[in-house]
Amino acid sequence: MIEFKNIHKKFGSNEVLKGINCKIPTGSVTVILGPSGSGKTTLLRSVNFLEKADRGEIILDDLHIDVEKASKADIHNIRQRTAMVFQMYNLFKNKTALENITEGLTVVKEIQKKQAKEEALYFLEKVGLSHKAEAYPHQLSGGQQQRIGIARALALNPDVILFDEPTSALDPELVGEVLEVMKKVAQEVNSTLLVVTHEIGFAREVADNIIFMADGFIVEQGPPHELLNRPQENRTKQFLSRYISFIEYNI
Amino acid sequence: MNNIIEFSFMYETFFDMLEFIPMTLFLAITSMLLACMIGLCGAIIRVRNIPILKELVTIYLLLGRAIPTMVLLYLVYFGVPIVLLIFTEKTGISTGFQYIPPLLFAVIGLTLHTGAYVTEIFRAAILSVDKWQMEAALSIGMTWRQGFKRIVIRQAAVFAIPLLANTFLNLIKSTSIVFTITVIELLGGAKIACAENYRYLETYLVVAIIYWLLCIVFEKIFRFVEHSLNFLRKGAAL
Repeated sequence: MIEFKNIHKKFGSNEVLKGINCKIPTGSVTVILGPSGSGKTTLLRSVNFLEKADRGEIILDDLHIDVEKASKADIHNIRQRTAMVFQMYNLFKNKTALENITEGLTVVKEIQKKQAKEEALYFLEKVGLSHKAEAYPHQLSGGQQQRIGIARALALNPDVILFDEPTSALDPELVGEVLEVMKKVAQEVNSTLLVVTHEIGFAREVADNIIFMADGFIVEQGPPHELLNRPQENRTKQFLSRYISFIEYNI
Repeated sequence: MNNIIEFSFMYETFFDMLEFIPMTLFLAITSMLLACMIGLCGAIIRVRNIPILKELVTIYLLLGRAIPTMVLLYLVYFGVPIVLLIFTEKTGISTGFQYIPPLLFAVIGLTLHTGAYVTEIFRAAILSVDKWQMEAALSIGMTWRQGFKRIVIRQAAVFAIPLLANTFLNLIKSTSIVFTITVIELLGGAKIACAENYRYLETYLVVAIIYWLLCIVFEKIFRFVEHSLNFLRKGAAL
C-alpha cells in the first residue's frame, strides 16, 4: 500500500500540492486524472523523490518517510522499490534496448550478467520487442522506446510502477501499442500501478480506482464507472464534459 | 655554410631532437591526466552547486584562465618553495623543498593552467546531457554516483572529446615554455643545439616539424576515439 499524508509542495510561490491525502491499495491500478497544472505529475514524482515535496509523509508498506526528514538512505530505499515510466521515455541513450533493461538488474539488483540478460530478454518478449534487443534508442520509434521503458520498469520487479503520462509524447497512431502493453501489465503484474494519463478510455477499462485532481487537491476519487459516469463534484463534471461528450454518445 | 638552409644539418638535428620527445610527451600527458581529474572534480562541484567548494572553483577558473601560462609557471616555480619555506619555519617540519625537481613545478604549472579549461569543458559536456537521463537512472534505484558514472559521463564524453583534443594539442605546444624553469624538453633541447651550432633557423624548423608531427598523431588518435563514440549520435540532428 502507498499512502500520502498531507503532502505539500511549492515551486517558488506557486503551491502545486496543497495537502494530498490518499491510500492506494497494493496491487491495484490507480489512474490520476486532472487538468494540466493540477499537480498530478508532481505527486507522482514525489513518490520516488525526483521531486522532493516540502512536507507530509509518504508511506510504502513498512517504509515510512517523513518528507522533511527524509535521509539519503530513505530516498534510495524507496527508489529501489519503485520504478518509473516517463513521458519522454528517458531510455539511456548510450545503451541498447537490452542494456537499458539489464542496467538496473546488474547495477542495482546485482544480478549476474548472464541471468540479467535472460530476464531482460524475457521482458523484451513481453513487450513484443525481442527483435530490437540490440537497437539503440535513437533507432526505435517513440512507441517502441516507451515499450522498452515499460520493460525496464517491469524487470526490476518493483512494488510500485509510476507511469508519468506515458502516451502523451507519442504520435496518435503509436498510442495504441503502448496502451496495449500497459493493459497487459495491469492484468499480469502484481505491482501497484500508479498512472498519470489523459487516456480516459484506458482509465475506464483498466483502473481499479480513479483519483481526480485539480488545483493541488484531490477533488474526488472512486471506481471508474462511478467517477466517470456519475461525478459528484462540479470540477470533475466540468473536466469530464470534454471527454464524455465524445465517449458517452458512442455507447 | 653557404646555403641559406642546410638540409643535411636539419636531417641530423632531427634525430638529435627525437630524444627530447619523451620529455615533451611526459609533460603533456601527465599534465593532461591530472588536469582531467581536477576538471572532473571542478565540473561536478559546479554542476551540483556544492557550497564553499563552488566558490573556490570559481576563483580557480578566474585565475587559471586569466593568468598567462608562463606567468603561472613562474608563480609556481618561485612561489611554492617560499610557501614551503614559511611552512618549515613555522612548524619546524622539513619539507625538503630544495630538492624538488623543476619538472614537478612544470607539471604543477601546466596542470593548473589546463585544469581550468578542462573544468569548463567537462561542465559544458555534463550540461549537454539530458537531465532526464539522470532521473531515469535514479528512478531505477541507482545512486547519483552510479548514474553519473554509468550514464551521464559516458554521454558527456561524446561532447567532450573534440574539445579535450583541442586542449591537449594546445598543451603539447604549451610545454615548450617550461625550458624557462630549466626543464629541458623539445624547445629546451633545441635552444642548446642552437647555442652549439649557431644554426637557429634550421633547428627551429626541425622543432616546428616535430611539434607538427606530434599534433598530427594525437589528432588522429582523438579522431579515432571520437569516431568510436559516435554511435550514440547517429540519427541526431547534428
